[in-house]
Amino acid sequence: MTGRSGLLALAALGLAAVILIAVELARGGASYGSVATEHPCAQRAAFQGGGLDATVQRIVLDGLDGAACRLGTTREQLVLSFSGTGPTHWSRKTIERAVRAGLLHAVDQAQARGDVGSLTAGLLRQVIERAPLQLLINGGAALGGLFG
Amino acid sequence: MRSGAATLALAAAVAFALADSSIVVLALPELYGDFNTTIQGVSWVVTAYNLAVVVGAIAVLPLAGRVRPAVSALVGLLIFAVASIVCAAAGGLALLIAGRTVQGLGAALLLVSSLPLLVALTGPRPHAISVWVSAGTLGAAAGPAVGGILTQLFSWRAIFAVQAPVAALAVVAARERSAWLVPPAQPGRERPSVAAGVGLALAFAALVGALFLAVLLVVTVWDFGPAKGALVVSALPIAAVASRPLARLLSRPVEIAGGALLLAAGLVALAFLPASSAAYAVPALAISGVGLGLALVPLTAASIAERGDLERSASFSVGARHLGLVIGLVAVAPLLAGSLDRAGDDATTSATRVVLDARIPLQAKIPIALDLYRAFRKAQAGQIPDLAAPFNAHGAGDDPQVRQARDDLLAAVRAPLTRAFRSSFLLSAAFAVLAGLVAPAFRTRIE
Repeated sequence: MTGRSGLLALAALGLAAVILIAVELARGGASYGSVATEHPCAQRAAFQGGGLDATVQRIVLDGLDGAACRLGTTREQLVLSFSGTGPTHWSRKTIERAVRAGLLHAVDQAQARGDVGSLTAGLLRQVIERAPLQLLINGGAALGGLFG
Repeated sequence: MRSGAATLALAAAVAFALADSSIVVLALPELYGDFNTTIQGVSWVVTAYNLAVVVGAIAVLPLAGRVRPAVSALVGLLIFAVASIVCAAAGGLALLIAGRTVQGLGAALLLVSSLPLLVALTGPRPHAISVWVSAGTLGAAAGPAVGGILTQLFSWRAIFAVQAPVAALAVVAARERSAWLVPPAQPGRERPSVAAGVGLALAFAALVGALFLAVLLVVTVWDFGPAKGALVVSALPIAAVASRPLARLLSRPVEIAGGALLLAAGLVALAFLPASSAAYAVPALAISGVGLGLALVPLTAASIAERGDLERSASFSVGARHLGLVIGLVAVAPLLAGSLDRAGDDATTSATRVVLDARIPLQAKIPIALDLYRAFRKAQAGQIPDLAAPFNAHGAGDDPQVRQARDDLLAAVRAPLTRAFRSSFLLSAAFAVLAGLVAPAFRTRIE
């Protein structure tokens, strides 16, 4: 081998590096790890699935979406604020009002979709209007318990 | 001890003294938790050592010409061994940092005085320099992997515990007759190459990316086990060693410039990883490793004057490379800490989204969510919690939906944390490019 072949080998290594970077960028390397901030009131795809469990999850998730929209935040940030790890811009009373309103709207939607009957929807509204906030925060478990 | 074994023992001690710059990097999360400190506080465990080596390498210069190298090496080895034991037994961060500082001073004495000893033990000066440079390059490149394996198999204390016997063995080497009789060096007119020193410092500043950041990313953020983590990271030293035949075909300027550019390209590839996957990290590390092997060896060799006082040359070379590490650490540590803070928030948001949207029944979803919450709370000592455990405890082994939710969550957490390393990798790549700019200053060929 000569100095020329050494230069060729070096150039091949450089080309391999450029190809690797190009492949990475083509496969989303530039945007990998960026967390898109969704508009708080943007319509999300409903939680999929049939049966009681999926219905309960749809109501809870739609309720959280509605509450987050009222507070001008994302559903995730609202949930994190429950645990004290997210933003705490709001008083407990403000959160409580938003969560109750969001869940009530979610029950309306569930009834409109035919997920729950009018009797069940009425019972749920009673619970949402009167139950302690913590019960609503743990809504899935609470609602699951009510149905179960 | 025969001179071959003595050479090996001394080279091992040199490799460890240079590996110590980076060997502790994978133990940082454990140290962070054990000592309940801050990221900046724990980073001093690395910085203090490198700073002490720089200061020590300059401070020992007046000894050259007055003290026999074997005596300096012996004192350095003893200081290094005792400080290693103190570090292994340290009950607090302050004592550990103090131990690391003393260890660095001992390492400086050892590194500076080991070069004339190697000449006495191995024969011709170029061969001794080659042994010294190779031991140093291998030690620096393999340090994080060795430290990571020791930490995960035993504890961070094992990193320091294993160094004392290595130093003790090298003490025997320093007392080898041919080494012991080496007289104090006579000051020569030869001056080390300033361009080589600048290039070496910049290349080592860049190595903070390849050595520290890549290892932290692969083993800590991606949570690879010791075997898989070491396998991925070992692409770097293996490629560095494999690059040597190619180096012999290149002129020194091309070797340095090409190596620096490949190191930079590997770091850019690490900055734009599209997934938390070894499939991308291994080639990026291998490219960095080839660049490291090509650039570091000629820069280190050029930093040592071809004639004259070896101790002064070694002092210059060791001081330059460790100064580069300190510059790299000081530049990168706050950048990474800031990015990780923001990425931690993004990771938490992503994890919450994954759990809320997971297609798993409420009986599994709620206990998993609560367990995850507890895991996050418990892991506030700077460690990434075991996020797979709650899913595994609630049926991930049997239920494909729970398993899918687990995998989605791990990917959602790792992605923003991986991205957080981007700016630090790019800064390291910039150091590498700057290191390559010194290449035109070298005109001679490496034989």
